[in-house]
Amino acid sequence: MPISRFLFFSSKHRFRQPLNLIRRFDLSKRTQSCSYTKSSRQSHRNPADYFLSPQETKASRSWSTYVIPAGGLLGLAGIATFVHYNDERRAVRKGQGENSGPNRVTGPIIGGPFTLIDTENRLVTENNFLGNWVLLYFGYTSSPDVGPEQVQMMAKAIDILDSKKNLKILPIFVTIDPQRDTPAHLRAYLKEFNSRIVGLTGPVGAIRQMAQEYRVFFKKVEDEGDDYLVESSHNMYFMNPSLEVVRCFGVEYTAEELAEEISKEMKKAST
Amino acid sequence: MAALEAYASRNADEVHTDVLLKARQACYKSRDAFYDCLEKESNKKPTEIASVGLLYPAECKALRAQFVNHCRASWVKHFDRLYCKNKRVRRLLDDGGETRRAELKRSVLPN
Repeated sequence: MPISRFLFFSSKHRFRQPLNLIRRFDLSKRTQSCSYTKSSRQSHRNPADYFLSPQETKASRSWSTYVIPAGGLLGLAGIATFVHYNDERRAVRKGQGENSGPNRVTGPIIGGPFTLIDTENRLVTENNFLGNWVLLYFGYTSSPDVGPEQVQMMAKAIDILDSKKNLKILPIFVTIDPQRDTPAHLRAYLKEFNSRIVGLTGPVGAIRQMAQEYRVFFKKVEDEGDDYLVESSHNMYFMNPSLEVVRCFGVEYTAEELAEEISKEMKKAST
Repeated sequence: MAALEAYASRNADEVHTDVLLKARQACYKSRDAFYDCLEKESNKKPTEIASVGLLYPAECKALRAQFVNHCRASWVKHFDRLYCKNKRVRRLLDDGGETRRAELKRSVLPN
């Protein structure tokens, strides 16, 4: 019965072990229990060896029995270094966020360069938007409910800021469904909300790269012939004139709250 | 760069009018009409099949046809799924978790 054996051996070694422990470590329960299991495991091995050893000496210990575990270890080490190198390559530096709040971006630097096509079929890069406060939203026009709601909220917030607070910010809508959202279609779609919203699209590769830089998740779901929906993380990024993300807003904000928070940010930056 | 030029040059002038404002509003209206009918006739036996497991009584058949007509197929499925989820949540809330507690008691207690 292995259980009784375990108890017997662990009780035998209990007298010897605490002395060593008191000498070396403080009496933390964890180290004690570790040493108990280790000692019981060792004591397990010794009687078993007595039975095995006569047979083992007969069989020739070829060097292959050493090579295979060593090779396995080397393989594991190789895989570990590869994974580590890969992580280093893909790692993003942590940004230096001076203020800490619930929505402050203090983690990896969000954002980066991009090259896309706007609704007039012109090539634009992020340099075209430098010097403006930018509200960036990643969406697609074929969204059944959340997309239009978010763009509507963006448009209303822009209006509130324009009229009441006299603060001008630039809203940008980047489509995550570039295959269906052509520039002309984007223009027609966004015109209905607010003529100031800039629409950006482009080839799938460019969009995917920008989405990765801005940490936006999007995925095509449920294909129905030509029709499909795109799941995405609905976040609006608010960026300062040097195009650094200062705040992100989720779907829980209303237009008034959005306008309020945006004006707060801009006032803070100008002081 | 070349990919961008190619994208711009490809004939990309079509506008999908079925996601623009008017079409969206028509879709929402017909969707609300259909689901209101479902609520009204909730005591009747659901015999027709909608999509993603939603069933509805035959009285709402005409409204269903209109709903499917005005909205994209993927949107119809999306709204049906949302409706089922809401209905389940509402049923759980109304119940107060009574049926679930009874089930748990029966399964957990040893006998």
